[in-house]
Order: sequence, then structure tokens, then C-alpha cells
Amino acid sequence: MLFNSYIFIFAFLPVAYVVFWALRNTTARYIWLTLTGYVFYGYWDARFCLLMAFSTLVSYGAGLGFLRWSDQFRRKLCLVVPIVVDLSLLAFFKYANFGLETTQAILHVAGIDVRVPHLNIVLPIGISFYTFHTITYIVDCYRGVIRPTRRFFEFSTYVSLFSQLVAGPIVRFRQIEQDLENIGTTSRTKWLERGISFFAIGLVEKVLIADTISAFVDPALAQHQLLSTAGTWMAMLGYSFQLYFDFSGYSTMAVGLGYLFGIRIPQNFNSPYKALDPSDFWRRWHISLSSVLRDYLYIPLGGNRGGEWKTYRNLLITMLLGGLWHGASWTFVVWGGYHGALLAAYRAWGKTWDRLPAVCRRIGMFGLAVVGWVFFRSASFTMAAEILHRMFVPTGGLSVAQAPLAAVALGVAAWWAMVGPNAFEMSHEYRWRGRIVLATGLAAGLAIIAGSRSSPFLYFQF
Amino acid sequence: MTSAPASEPADVSVSARTHTSPAQYEQASSHGKSQDHRRNLLLRLSGAFALIVVFALTFELTCRVEDWVMYRMPLASPYRSVEDLIIRDADGMHGRPNAQFQKWIMNNVGTRGPRASLLPVSGTVRIITVGASETFGLRESPGHEYPRQLEDSLNARLRNGACPARADLRVEVLNAAFAGMTLPTIQQDVRNRLVRLHPAVVVAYPSPASYLEAERPVAARPDSSPNAGVIGSRAMLHPRAIDRLRDQLKEMLPTAIKSWLRQRETDAARAGVAGPLFSTPPADRLSAFEVDVRQLISGIRAIGSAPVLVTHANAFVGRRTIDGDKLIAWEKFFPRTTGATLVAFDSLSRSVEFSVAAESGAVVVDATRRLASAPDSAFADYEHFADLGAALMASAIADGVLATEPLARICSRAQAHFGN
Repeated sequence: MLFNSYIFIFAFLPVAYVVFWALRNTTARYIWLTLTGYVFYGYWDARFCLLMAFSTLVSYGAGLGFLRWSDQFRRKLCLVVPIVVDLSLLAFFKYANFGLETTQAILHVAGIDVRVPHLNIVLPIGISFYTFHTITYIVDCYRGVIRPTRRFFEFSTYVSLFSQLVAGPIVRFRQIEQDLENIGTTSRTKWLERGISFFAIGLVEKVLIADTISAFVDPALAQHQLLSTAGTWMAMLGYSFQLYFDFSGYSTMAVGLGYLFGIRIPQNFNSPYKALDPSDFWRRWHISLSSVLRDYLYIPLGGNRGGEWKTYRNLLITMLLGGLWHGASWTFVVWGGYHGALLAAYRAWGKTWDRLPAVCRRIGMFGLAVVGWVFFRSASFTMAAEILHRMFVPTGGLSVAQAPLAAVALGVAAWWAMVGPNAFEMSHEYRWRGRIVLATGLAAGLAIIAGSRSSPFLYFQF
Repeated sequence: MTSAPASEPADVSVSARTHTSPAQYEQASSHGKSQDHRRNLLLRLSGAFALIVVFALTFELTCRVEDWVMYRMPLASPYRSVEDLIIRDADGMHGRPNAQFQKWIMNNVGTRGPRASLLPVSGTVRIITVGASETFGLRESPGHEYPRQLEDSLNARLRNGACPARADLRVEVLNAAFAGMTLPTIQQDVRNRLVRLHPAVVVAYPSPASYLEAERPVAARPDSSPNAGVIGSRAMLHPRAIDRLRDQLKEMLPTAIKSWLRQRETDAARAGVAGPLFSTPPADRLSAFEVDVRQLISGIRAIGSAPVLVTHANAFVGRRTIDGDKLIAWEKFFPRTTGATLVAFDSLSRSVEFSVAAESGAVVVDATRRLASAPDSAFADYEHFADLGAALMASAIADGVLATEPLARICSRAQAHFGN
């Protein structure tokens, strides 16, 4: 079920909302939210609900273990066992074929030709996200950052909360713990307007901006080998904005949905294309992921505490794994490595970069991000090389379809992403003029979904 | 919005205090409050109404802009559905020239596809496809209906040496089908209208199920009145938003509920029908089908074209399990019969086409068999093709078209010429 579908907006959400607020009891609301999460998730494939339930049980059990035992050995066991279980599931479903194919390629280079079977595995949607939810919970319990919950349904609500289940943000338990505790007494009207507003803004970002851009980007990149230099740049700029508005739109809708149920989900995008340098970019892009990578990988690796070279190494390892998290493909690893290299380079020569005027740094950082998206978007290195070649070596060829319309869409997207306010910077207390703008955006978004253009969110594949 | 009305009760109270007793003051004050409350309510209601109007207008405008962006459909187009792309005039019933509804674009001669001249361009063999919605192309993505793919497939084969001596030979396919086009209507269209387009080959893909209605099909009556087929300008005001919302509502319903509703509708229709109900394939209707196929072949030959008959394919023949939901959806359109009869009648009509073709020497393409071994994804529903099914159809029909006399003659003459 997609947020940008009529079944979600006019059937699932109203039922989930009305029943939730009709229930007065905290536990009943936990159970209801858990149930809605499983219905929402099971709409894609009911079998995967079992997987999520298993992961939830294991992590919840580990939490109880932390409460019960204080000796280091058993606490470590409570830390390691569930993380191994969660990562094994993720590894199997997401990376098994990738691992087998890579092994085959390495053996082939070594002169050993072995036919490795291709496993017929369906990637459970959102597994990367809820695995991170459970892992961050376990690690925080182990570190003593949070006190594990005894209430099973509170924990299951946290894992299966439909607003952040399949594509994040990666919300840590401590970030919503207080709202979950107060779920039985929270006010329905307090955040209602804010919730609707965030949801509508997210819908506009996704449906009006991202999907409109995808209508010319997707066909153009499908024939990337025929595009001219201008056409390739247009397609890649389009993809950069499409990806941002798609994911940011999803996150904004998730925040809005959270508000509707009295849960404050943190900001995931803070206008990343306004970033002035690589470090700033990662403070603004997919904030929940980059902060998880920082707190649970980069800092445990040593962070910047072991000298320059170790810092560079830690940055690279963190970003390479961050790239791999996005997808089981070497192009994602290279994308991660590219950003790791940018972060390391900024650390080395940042003072020189910072002397440039702000507008140059912003445009420069955006350009660097666009180059990175080439690897992110490409299905293979051949495709990435072809696109990069056409971007940087003047080449004749086709332009994108409906170029004037595409240019208008790009202009609007560029303004909003690089100059305009993001959803968290907007006011959500509306007078009539604001309400009319909101109604206009909502109507336009719903009209487009009512056609046949509603498309899945790009980050669902991760 | 709230500050202006809030100041008014204060004025009322001042005037009340100066000229009235305390009791009268209380009364005036409560009267003022109630007036204020009413005004606030009125303001809120008009505000909500304004929001609804803005919402509805934006919704409608967005639908129209999107249709323009996606399909270049004019903002004020009078065409509201695929049915509007059909016209009934002095020639009978056929495609409406230059009409467009979303992805379905009719050309200047009233066939679906790119612009065409009345006479075929020199060096081009013209083929016309006739049939109902399966041929017109309801469910395929634009440009992937089988007649378009047939043109691509034939031209690719010609380029790759299917007619080695005439490498420059090209094929043009005009799609003269429309939803609900029956065999008698096809005959009439061939005789009255398609003859003017000078096709070398006419590919006919009849829908046998139309013989399971109350009456056997007859040709649509021509209409020579001056206003025949005119769509009023008020049609352009028809809200497209409503159509989209209706479609969405249908989409939202789970398949089981949709099937249940269809079944109910079919049962109700069955209960209310007078005339025959077909629990087995009716022999008289099969004979009528045979007669009409024979007449069609003669009619096509009479205008100097070569006929190609294509047997009807559906989503049930050759499948290990029958998709009950699809069958219920098919039954809904033919409530006089059962799903099993529809499938059986389709299979019998295939035999009829084979025997008629054998007797008359027409080329027959066995689409039934070709599609029976295709994946389920070849069909978008019980009989309409998805892109894959249309591609398989195009490939099968291309074989048949290349075997027709006009193509064989052109290629052999050229070969002889080049041989000399």
C-alpha cells in the first residue's frame, strides 16, 4: 500500500485514524497501531509479516534480557545474538545473490569457472529499515541510553509503525519513546492541522514534483546511450531532483502521519541541495541514516580520534557500508565510496573550499552530488561510464522528451530544493489563504493519483 | 478573520448600556452574541464552501492539464470516453476522424494511429485491421496495440530480407477497429468505407462472443441525418474528475468484492432477461457466425483485398487453472450465457474459421493456439491483450500476412524481375 494511493488515503488511513482515537486505553492503541502496521505491510506480501514478527520478538526478548541480567557476558549475548539474527536475515534476503555473483566473478578472475546458482529470493520491502530500527534499539539498550520496554505492544508499535515502516525515517526508539509512553493521553487535535499539512506537502513533493520529473527522466535514462550532452545533464539533474522530492516527500508524509497519531517523527531532509560542502550535505540528506551510521558505525570504528589516516579510513568504511546498505550492487558501493572520498577530501582541504563564496560552494556541492547520483542510478558500471562520458565529453544525440515542459518542471524543483523552504521551515498554522494553497496542492496531488500515475517510492527498493 | 467580528459585540454592549435597563441589556447582549455566533458560523460555512470549490476546480483543472501533458489532449476536448471515438454516419458505424480521448488517438481517416493518406503511398503495402476492442487496443500502452506492433514487426522483417528483392518495400497498418465492432458491421465498413482506403490485405479478428447476445449481431444502421455523430459543445464541460474518481473507486475494491458485485449484476441481468439463455454453445449462433465469416471473406475479396482471418484468443484456453475472477468479468458482458459456454463457443468458432478458410482459400492465423502457450501476463483481462500478448499477436499475424497473395505476388514478381 502506498501513501500516494486512494486505498491508503481514503480507506486505510481514515479507519486507522478513527479507531485509534476511539480507543481510550494505551495498550489498546499500541495493539491497534501494531495491527495497522501489519495490515499495511501485509498488503504487499503477507508472508513477510512473519519475518517482521520474528525480528520484533527476538529484539524484544533481548530487551527483556538487558532488564534481567547485569553480568557482562549475558548482556553481550543479548547484544550479539539478536544483531546477528537481524543482520543474517538482511544478508540472506538482500545480499545472498550479490554475494554469490561476486564470488563467482572473483573465482572467474582466479581462473576457476564455477556456476553459482541464482537463488530465487524476493526482497521483503522495508527490511533494511526495520532491521535498523531493531538494531539501534538493542545497541541503545546495551549502552544504557534507553531503558528497554517491558510492554511488548509498545515495542511492536515502534517496529511496525506504518508511517515509518517501509522507507524510514530510521527512527530510534529514544526519539519517539516519550510519545509512545503518552499515547493513551495525547490530544487528538493538538497536531491535527500540522499532520494534515505535512502530509499534503509531502504528497505535493512526491506526486507533483517527483513523479512529473520522472515522466521525462525515466524514458530518457532508459535510452541514455542515445542522449546528447545537454540531454544527459537534463536527465541527471532531473533524477537528482526526482530522488530528493520522492524520498523527502515520503519522509514528510511520514512525519505528517506521525502527527495524526500523536507521534513526532524527526526531520529526515533539511534541504540537502542547499549544502555548502560534503559534510553539510550529509547533515541534511537522509539525516536519520547518516546519524545512525555516525553513531553506530563511524564512532565505534574510532571516528576522528585516531589521527588523520584513521579518520579517512573510518569515513571510507562508513560510507562504503552506507552505500551497500542502499542496494546489493557494486554501483551503490562505489557511490558510497565516492561520498567517503568527498568527505575525506573536505577534511583535508576544507579550509580552501570554505574560502569560496557561498553560492559557488552550494552549486559546487550540488554538482558533486549529481555526479554521485550517476552511480546511484546506473544499473551497471557500463551505464555509469556512458552517462559520465556523455556528461563531460560534448556529444550529439537526443534531448529529453517534452524538453520545454521538462525545463519548467526542473526550474520549479530547483527553486524549491535550492532556495525555497522545506516542510519544517514552513508555518503550519493556516489562515484562509494558507488553507486555500493547501487545498489546491492536495487537490492537484489527488487528481494526479486518480489518473494512473501513482508510482512507488524510489526508496522502497532499498 | 476572528478579530473583526469580535469587536462588534463591544459596540452593541456600549449602546445597550446607555439606553436600556440591566435586563434589557442582558437580552441585547445575548442577542448580540447569538448574532455574532451566527455570523461566525456563516463565515466558517462560506469559508468551507470556498475551500470545497477551490478544491474541486483545482482537481478538474489538474485532470485536464495532466491529460494535455501526458497525451496532448486539448483542455476543452469534447470527448469523454472511448465510446466517443465512434461515429455513426452515412457509412455506418466507424472510428471518428481526428478524435482523441487520452491515449486513444484517431487519425484523419478515422482509424487509430498516425495520419494516413486516402491512397497508400507508393512502395507501401496497406493493411487494415478490423475487429472489436481487442484489436482497437484498450489495455496496451500507447503504440503497443497489436496493429501498431504488426506494422513494426512486418517492416522489421522486410528490412531483414523477408522480401529480398524489394528491400525498399514498406507496410502501413491502419487500425479500423473499435470497441464492440461486430462481424456484420465489419462487412459494412469494408464495403462502404474501407474500400476507399485501398487496402491490399484486411486482417479480421472477430469476437465470437457477440453471437451470444439476445439477437445475433446485425450491422449498425447508417445515419444520413445532417447532425449524425455531432457531439455538442456542452460535452467539453463534462467533469473529467468524476470519471477518474469512479475508476479509482473500482481500483480500490479488492478483487473478491469486485467479482461478487459483478456476479450479482450478472445474476440480476439473467433474472430479468427474456429470450434464450445459453448453457451450451448454441448451434444456430455458430451457423450464423459461419455465414458472416464467409460473407466477410467475399466482401473483402470484392474490394480487391486479401483476407486474413485470426482465430479468437482468450485468457482461458490452454491454462492449467481457470481464473474465476476473469471469467466472471467476461460473463458480466454476456449474461445470457455461462463462462464455460463463452470459452466453448470461442473454441468452436476457431474450428469454424479454419473450415471456412480452408474452403475459401483464405489465410488463417491461429492466435488461439499461439496465445494458449503464452504466460498469463499476455492478457490484461479475460480477452484484452497486455503489451506482451499484443506482441505475440503481431508476430503470429505477420507470418499470415506475408503468406497472403498480394505480398507473395509483390515479392515473387520482384524476384523474377531481379532474376531476369
